Amino acid sequence: MKITALLLLRTAGDYSSSSGPSDPVVLANASDVSHFGYFQRMAAKEFILFVARTVAKRTPPGQRQSVQHEEYKVHSYNRNGLCALAFMDDHYPVRSAFSLLNKVLDEYQKTFGDSWRVQQTDSNQPWPFLTEAFTKFQDPAEADKLLKIQRDLDETKILLHKTIDNVLARGEKLDSLVEKSSDLSAASQMFYKQARKTNQCCTLL
Amino acid sequence: MNPRPGQTSYRDRTQEFLKAVENFKKSFASIPDATSSIAAPKFEGPKSAASIQSEFSRRASQIGLGIHQTSQKLAKLAKLAKKTSVFDDPTVQIQELTAVIKQDITALNSAVVDLQLLCNSQNESGNMSRDTTNHSTTVVDNLKTRLMSATKEFKEVLTMRTENLKVHENRRQLFSSSASKEATNPFLRQRPLVSRGSNDSASPPAPWENDSTASAPLFPRRKLNGDPSSSTQPLIQQQQQQQQMVPAQDSYMQSRAEALQNVESTIHELSNIFTQLATMVSQQGELAIRIDENMDDTLTNVEGAQGALLKYLNSISSNRWLMIKIFFVLMVFLMIFLFFVA
Repeated sequence: MKITALLLLRTAGDYSSSSGPSDPVVLANASDVSHFGYFQRMAAKEFILFVARTVAKRTPPGQRQSVQHEEYKVHSYNRNGLCALAFMDDHYPVRSAFSLLNKVLDEYQKTFGDSWRVQQTDSNQPWPFLTEAFTKFQDPAEADKLLKIQRDLDETKILLHKTIDNVLARGEKLDSLVEKSSDLSAASQMFYKQARKTNQCCTLL
Repeated sequence: MNPRPGQTSYRDRTQEFLKAVENFKKSFASIPDATSSIAAPKFEGPKSAASIQSEFSRRASQIGLGIHQTSQKLAKLAKLAKKTSVFDDPTVQIQELTAVIKQDITALNSAVVDLQLLCNSQNESGNMSRDTTNHSTTVVDNLKTRLMSATKEFKEVLTMRTENLKVHENRRQLFSSSASKEATNPFLRQRPLVSRGSNDSASPPAPWENDSTASAPLFPRRKLNGDPSSSTQPLIQQQQQQQQMVPAQDSYMQSRAEALQNVESTIHELSNIFTQLATMVSQQGELAIRIDENMDDTLTNVEGAQGALLKYLNSISSNRWLMIKIFFVLMVFLMIFLFFVA
């Protein structure tokens, strides 16, 4: 369950004068290519950029899309010309991926306002939020609150099952205790009667 | 006099009441005239009371009839919900019936509330006998409990239906492959047979077309994700690596809705578990009380026995009885000795 890259691009949608085959502009990029070999890292980075541009170009505004590419899934969400992409493996739940993209988009708009609309070249400055989001959201439960809640609820359910088993065992023990205590009270009653009998009965030797 | 359980018939005792009114009228007529003015409005009182009472019993019988009809409809709905199979899903009927039953139940609810208000106003007007007030309150309570049990049955039938649908859903997912995830929302599934046929028989390169046609009628209202299939085709043709069909037909909103439903059902199960837990603990509390009582009894018995034994010890260890006994034994020996020797 790994995120390989998170990117933010500006798609040339309705906002540029020459809307058409112009490539999207990279606004922010966070990628982890450490699992490739040392000599393949540059190529992998270029590759990621290329795929990202292509997918972003083909995602219409206001739409979400998931493309399978080799062993990665690319999820993209285009919102008013600002497109967020995520490269992840197959195990990452799709819904969490899209909620993560939502978060990234919101944060970007909050931080940078609308200044991204005028950018024409790829920006290479790292955006700290993106990099820390990248590391934080390797675990999909962080990104998707629903998933977290579901997970908590499942754990609670397991705990409750165990609790109920314990309570049943307690019930059995209480049952045996009841029996023993009733035996004890019967025996003590016999004891009392016997003691009274020896005391007050005929004054034998 | 109280309605028999499970039936809606009421005995209308209006006639008896009217006879009682006649008797009262005769007894009032014998009182001197000073009270006749009181008698007159009182006479009006019982008569309107009679009419109010008959109004009450009429409404009560109407409500009872309504509850009976609703429970019959509910039985029909339960049968329909049970007999749904994977292919033959009378969804439309079931939904209509559900809506009708819901309306009935709300109408009956408001009618019972009205009846109770009427009953309270009657009780407060004060010219009723105690039996009548008891009767009316009992009738209202009975109607309320019947309505509540009908509502509970309704809820059970609905949960059973959702469970059935979930079972069908799982079976469907077992048989058809990944592309059939579109059918996850069972209440909006329109043509299950179509999707199964198209998915099972399609070969991998072809499913792009198949799925776009199958998904279009299935999701006329979905969030525009029928497009990805066509827009990513040129992308795939450009890539030379091996492609795999993406389950892109899963719309984002649908999966969110499904997750929310899962969360909700989990919470329901949790609440069930908690109630069971509470029941068990309260039952065991009673056990603990029994144990406590047994122990108290034991304690009392043992203390009494200890006291008795102490007394015994005292009596044995004291010298007085001993001396008397020794004296008697000596006397007996002396007697025997004297008798045999002398």
